[in-house]
Amino acid sequence: MKHDPTLPLHDAPPEKTPTEQAPPFAMTGGVVRRDGREVLADVGLRVGTGDVLAVLGPNGAGKSTLVKALLGLVPLAAGRTEIYGTPPARFRGWRRIGYVPQRLPMGGGVPATVREVVSSGRLGRRSRWRPAVFNDRAADRAAVDRALETLGLTGHARDSAHLLSGGQQQRVLIARALAGEPDVFVMDEPTAGVDARSQAALAAALRELTGAGRTVVLVTHELGPLEPLITRTVELGHGRIVQETTVRENPARDTATGRPV
Amino acid sequence: MSGMLQYEFMRIALVMAVLIGLTAPAVGTFIVQRKLSLLGDGIGHIALTGIGLGLLTSTSPVLGALVVSVLGAVAIEVLRARSRSGADVALALLFYGGLAGGVILTNANGGSGTSLQSYLFGSITSVTVTDLYVVAGLAAAVLGVVALFGRELFLLCQDEEVARASGLPVRFLSVLIAATAAVTVVISMRAIGLLLVSALMIVPVAAAQQLTRGFRGTMLAAMATGVLSAVSGLAGSFQYDLPPGPSIVLLALALFVAAVAGGTLVRRRRARAGTAAENVPAAAGPGVEARVDAEVMGG
Repeated sequence: MKHDPTLPLHDAPPEKTPTEQAPPFAMTGGVVRRDGREVLADVGLRVGTGDVLAVLGPNGAGKSTLVKALLGLVPLAAGRTEIYGTPPARFRGWRRIGYVPQRLPMGGGVPATVREVVSSGRLGRRSRWRPAVFNDRAADRAAVDRALETLGLTGHARDSAHLLSGGQQQRVLIARALAGEPDVFVMDEPTAGVDARSQAALAAALRELTGAGRTVVLVTHELGPLEPLITRTVELGHGRIVQETTVRENPARDTATGRPV
Repeated sequence: MSGMLQYEFMRIALVMAVLIGLTAPAVGTFIVQRKLSLLGDGIGHIALTGIGLGLLTSTSPVLGALVVSVLGAVAIEVLRARSRSGADVALALLFYGGLAGGVILTNANGGSGTSLQSYLFGSITSVTVTDLYVVAGLAAAVLGVVALFGRELFLLCQDEEVARASGLPVRFLSVLIAATAAVTVVISMRAIGLLLVSALMIVPVAAAQQLTRGFRGTMLAAMATGVLSAVSGLAGSFQYDLPPGPSIVLLALALFVAAVAGGTLVRRRRARAGTAAENVPAAAGPGVEARVDAEVMGG
């Protein structure tokens, strides 16, 4: 029997050992076409629990497309992809996933405070047809406070998120994902457009997250200060995986809980 | 003010103005953030066909407008989701079709130019108590949607992909916000008129965001701006014998200009305060350098 992906692991002990469980992400023969061109060609990728995977490659290699395809945000033209053993369209355990997009969109320019943006990370924890208004407010507030503190944003909670620097905005986006207390982080260029100093701060924050045994998939041009955190790398070129390396053994993969403390 | 309260039609109109002032900017905040500022205009055009149908079938024009504009809004949302490139033209076709259809249908009814005029530019003073009840019910429904799904709609309008990756029912929420906008158009059309209806959804929000830092703050400030311009616009039009709809809209625009001026001042002062604060290390969480926190970019 497969583990119900809508149940967080720590609430319901799985009936099978974690090694036999479906991995966070598994893509086989993944193809994505845009305007007739193959942006992603025959990609096979398996991300195991506790992996800290860096997706590397030059601009236009399909890195962002790959992570969006893993999440089902970009449809596959061929092949299949699964999140914890379920195709994205039928996946319901989104509370286990924390997606950090490349940037905070301006939209129509209506401001939002850092706290408002980070709080929206709790929406993944609502059940599908039940508005988040009925969520546990105290638990939400506590999780948002923790996320703000971890990313060093407590002093900025009431500031307008769009007026912060690039590095700070990046931390707001990570804090939003963290507020949802996910098992897996998917980060699209968390260090892009961030100066060296803020990159070091980001790396410190990420170390705290990965130290807790979470699975991370991150897209990046170059590893920089994130390097010591990475357990695996996948290099893309023209939409294909050109190189795969295991940097170090993943200590979390065979542990019993799979869920960080 | 007390003079105009002697008349029942003005009392009804005032309650109506408050309801519109509250609902239009509340929905408008989401619409602006979603970069759909012209959605209200489009729905207004389509609603005219509904009014024509209502007049032609001698049923209620408001009911006709409600049904047709909600259907139109859903159609717009479906077109938007289906294709990025063709949607723009498809929307334009829908708008022109709605306006032309409405004029033809009202004419076919042998309808006078005045009734068409009253829907195009509004006639808040001809509103009856029954109309008011209908509008109050619809306004309650709109505000209920905002209260119930506000957090979800906020994320949807902020970043649709993140909303999807959070497991939100994105398609349902998109249709919900479009349909809510359509209901808001119908609520406001008697007072402001279909051609100006979306002004009260957009202008108060544009004014509020000059001065606010957060989404909720923007929405509340926009609602206050909306009520202020609707009520004083109505009072002014009574006092100086001006058409109420355009008076309300011009007042909202005046408040927008004032907010832009005020916002520039506030930002300048904040920037100055920000430069001063840069020398004081801000409190930071574990593992994050405090110095990074003080770097506030932009004005």
